[in-house]
Amino acid sequence: MATAWLVTGIVDPAWPTPAGMLAGMLAAMGLSLLLMPVFVALFGAMEVMLPVMLTAMLAGMLLGMARAMTVFSTWEAMVAGGLIGTLTLLSTYALDASLRRRGL
Amino acid sequence: MREATRKKWDLSASFYDLLAYGPERRWAAAKRALFANMEGRILFVAVGTGQDIRFFPPGRDIVGIDISPRMLAKARSRAAAYAGKLELRLMDVHSLEFPDYSFDQVVSSCTFCSVPDPVAGLKALRRVLKPGGMLYMFEHTGSRLFPFNLMLNLMTPIWKPIGPEMNRDTVANVRKAGFEIQQVNNIYLDVVKTIIATSPA
Repeated sequence: MATAWLVTGIVDPAWPTPAGMLAGMLAAMGLSLLLMPVFVALFGAMEVMLPVMLTAMLAGMLLGMARAMTVFSTWEAMVAGGLIGTLTLLSTYALDASLRRRGL
Repeated sequence: MREATRKKWDLSASFYDLLAYGPERRWAAAKRALFANMEGRILFVAVGTGQDIRFFPPGRDIVGIDISPRMLAKARSRAAAYAGKLELRLMDVHSLEFPDYSFDQVVSSCTFCSVPDPVAGLKALRRVLKPGGMLYMFEHTGSRLFPFNLMLNLMTPIWKPIGPEMNRDTVANVRKAGFEIQQVNNIYLDVVKTIIATSPA
């Protein structure tokens, strides 16, 4: 959701779509790196870093692309960002459970 | 002793415990289970600030080494509280000051993500480990899975100056150093693992 808020503030609907995607992705990943030490210290290392970075990359890219193509509110973007984050967390959790069962 | 590595970990010593609070809490059960295997004379590599000492089973004979004097200074009170024999020594894993075949087991925890030459470090461990001796490792490694491998490759240059490399293939490095892998268990995705290996007799 923080990613979505940031991307809607940075990317302008007048931008070319690829520029919106790239700017959204870079801004979101930069934000995730800034927030990372706090989350890592509280909740764990890889278990936080990987889903957070992945969410930032996907949400930044998708919302940056969408923002460059159409106008939507910050609130709508934050809901979409929240959904992307939730889906990423659930997918990572499912993959983790499967890999732990399988070993190497 | 590699000066750059020592300086890096001396610098990290001041904030290491703060950043390690979350990971140590999350990995406590897996570490406790792995360290429960400790038997005989044990070398614990990169004891750091001694965060892992609380997971050691009591009554063991352990030598803990680290490259950083500031890390070891922080570890001393935790070592003193250990209910067993635990000696701390300042040492680089690349140039161990122990005779050949000095230990029954070697244990590491989040170490070989940071050792500058991991295969040489692991070979040094093989030298001091008795034939048939066990190597127990709790390590984070690179991933074989996209997009996690991409994330870890992106994070490595950011973290490396103050801490670990995120994308190492530690299981392959253990094999390259001449150990025989007995067991690899995933703790989180294929990134955080326990590795159990033996030094061939």
